[in-house]
Amino acid sequence: MFIQFFETLRSKGLHVTLGEWLTLQEALDKGFCGSSLTQFYYVARMILVKSETDYDKYDMAFEECFKAAERETEVGAQMLRWLDKSDMMELAHEQARDHLNKMEDLQIDKEDVEEKFKARLKDQDSEHNGGSYWIGTMGKTSFGNMGGNVGGVRVGGQTGYQSAFSVIGARKYRDFRDDRVIDNRQFQMAFRKLRQFSSRLDIPETELDINGTVDKTCNNGGCLQIVMQKPRKNAVKLLLLMDSGGTMIPYSTLLNDLFQAVHKSNHYKDVKAYYFHNCIYSKLYKTPECENGDWIDTEWMFRNVDSDYKVIIVGDAAMAPEELYSDTGNYRGPNGGLSGYEWLKLIKRHYKKVVWLNPKMAPGKAPWREAETAIKEMFPMFKLTVDGLNRAMTKLMVNR
Amino acid sequence: MGLQEFQGTDNYVASEELMASVNIAIALKKPLLIKGEPGTGKTQLAEAVARALDKRLIIWNIKSTTKAQEGLYVYDTIQRLYDGQFGEEGVDDIARYIKLGKLGEAFDSEEQVVLLIDEIDKADLEFPNDLLWELDQMEFYINETKRTIKAKHRPIVIITSNAEKELPDAFLRRCIFHYIDFPDRELMEQIVKVHFPEVEGHLLQNAMDVFYAIRSIRDIRKKPSTSELIDWVNALQIGGIPTETIKKALPFVGVVVKKDEDLELVKHSDLS
Repeated sequence: MFIQFFETLRSKGLHVTLGEWLTLQEALDKGFCGSSLTQFYYVARMILVKSETDYDKYDMAFEECFKAAERETEVGAQMLRWLDKSDMMELAHEQARDHLNKMEDLQIDKEDVEEKFKARLKDQDSEHNGGSYWIGTMGKTSFGNMGGNVGGVRVGGQTGYQSAFSVIGARKYRDFRDDRVIDNRQFQMAFRKLRQFSSRLDIPETELDINGTVDKTCNNGGCLQIVMQKPRKNAVKLLLLMDSGGTMIPYSTLLNDLFQAVHKSNHYKDVKAYYFHNCIYSKLYKTPECENGDWIDTEWMFRNVDSDYKVIIVGDAAMAPEELYSDTGNYRGPNGGLSGYEWLKLIKRHYKKVVWLNPKMAPGKAPWREAETAIKEMFPMFKLTVDGLNRAMTKLMVNR
Repeated sequence: MGLQEFQGTDNYVASEELMASVNIAIALKKPLLIKGEPGTGKTQLAEAVARALDKRLIIWNIKSTTKAQEGLYVYDTIQRLYDGQFGEEGVDDIARYIKLGKLGEAFDSEEQVVLLIDEIDKADLEFPNDLLWELDQMEFYINETKRTIKAKHRPIVIITSNAEKELPDAFLRRCIFHYIDFPDRELMEQIVKVHFPEVEGHLLQNAMDVFYAIRSIRDIRKKPSTSELIDWVNALQIGGIPTETIKKALPFVGVVVKKDEDLELVKHSDLS
């Protein structure tokens, strides 16, 4: 049943498994959905979707598959009870709004969904409600509630079911998508991925080795002899190189968050952080202000920060070609006889694991961003989002 | 549907989707995974379900150091060693040193229970995977005594998560999932009234106005949650604060806003 829905879900990037699908069939068998599409929407969602970050994808797939069925859905008696607050006008409105939503979606650049989204909410505030409590007002009546559709996300939670299509139309789970730009906590969680337990570190033996103790005690004729062992600790060492050039200023809060997250995840054996301006040359700055003199030699770093550090470079990779390729391209400090490109090559040669995080990476190939394309060829580059950071961390952990 | 159906309780207001997911999880015999902002009543849900269905509730609180094994059983080797040293009676009976964990307790219970595995995301990343078999088959094997503990009555398993960590896919596939949305004003009013049936309408309206206004401040670090609103309404009632001053003076606002930076923000923004 609904095998096409299954395929659409998978094509939208939801990894629904056969097991889950069979569970849904079982639920249908047991009559949980009645004859209502809306109930089917909720039941299928709770069985097939396991994260609120995927609700939006689910909504899209559901809309695609059942759009045609929309008019025929509202049949069951229970359904009518839920819907007694609405009337047919609402369906008409829904379609109009839907259209509007589509129009708007076209203009939305994934990169700053959140910003636009918030701005939109703000606009809506002044346009529709006039007051400052837009969330509340929207939630108050079913109509106000639905009104959130064109521009807003309602604060969620309701006393009855909302019709599936109004939920979808509202795309109220859009801001949960994990390809949006991230917050500090999620950064920290991503950094936790980066760990490699080892008990071969130079730390005191503080844990009771039960097997050892039993062994020793038995050999000792039953007289208790305690054996201690070293606890397992994370052996990962991290080197963070961050661009704090002019083009990165819009992302300063994001970088600050990233930096905080690294420092809060105190489970690394060591963390070192240096800064650069646009591209890496012979000097690396100790502070984000990048003041001349307050720096270390990049070569000193090569000597003192060994090659088993995992390196995360954060930058927009938006250098002018001469900044990257000319050996006099550094307009702020010394070049050290090499071009930025060659310095980057040195980093690649020295460190085994390097990833580049870019807050404004172009999707796919972007030949017009010459520097970005060149750097992408050298280092695995990921967009600075939850998803990207997670993939970058995985990349740092796997053996090449 | 099953014989027993969860419909919320006198002091727990559940949305219809939430009630449906509880009932479906029970009928399909799968664990119910509940996610949502802190303070949206994830933990209370289990209590409410247990009360509504008149079943015993077993709570397994997960901490960052919790191991899956602890939920099944613990073999107290140290105690046994210790007893052995002094020739204590019954040292040769290993079963004496096997203590069932919360999961074991739920399986071993004579009647069906509600098992709450609270904040599963606090534990190590691998934790949920270690429980896959046990939650699927509802049984485990005690190596030391060669005994299998099998659930006499499949417990109703409710798992909560604050989304601190991504849970492993294999685990998620076996669950029914529900995300508790933040309640809108209408539902919020119901929730508060369940706690304080006598609350004065004006006071509540004003408090909720301020509450949602604070939540809508864009750069607020920690959004106040339902439980904080309830505490605040309580404080306002006990303090006998005149309704008109709530918006202006923000009495006891520390109950709702906990961070210094947020307090500053709230004081400087226009909440009326």
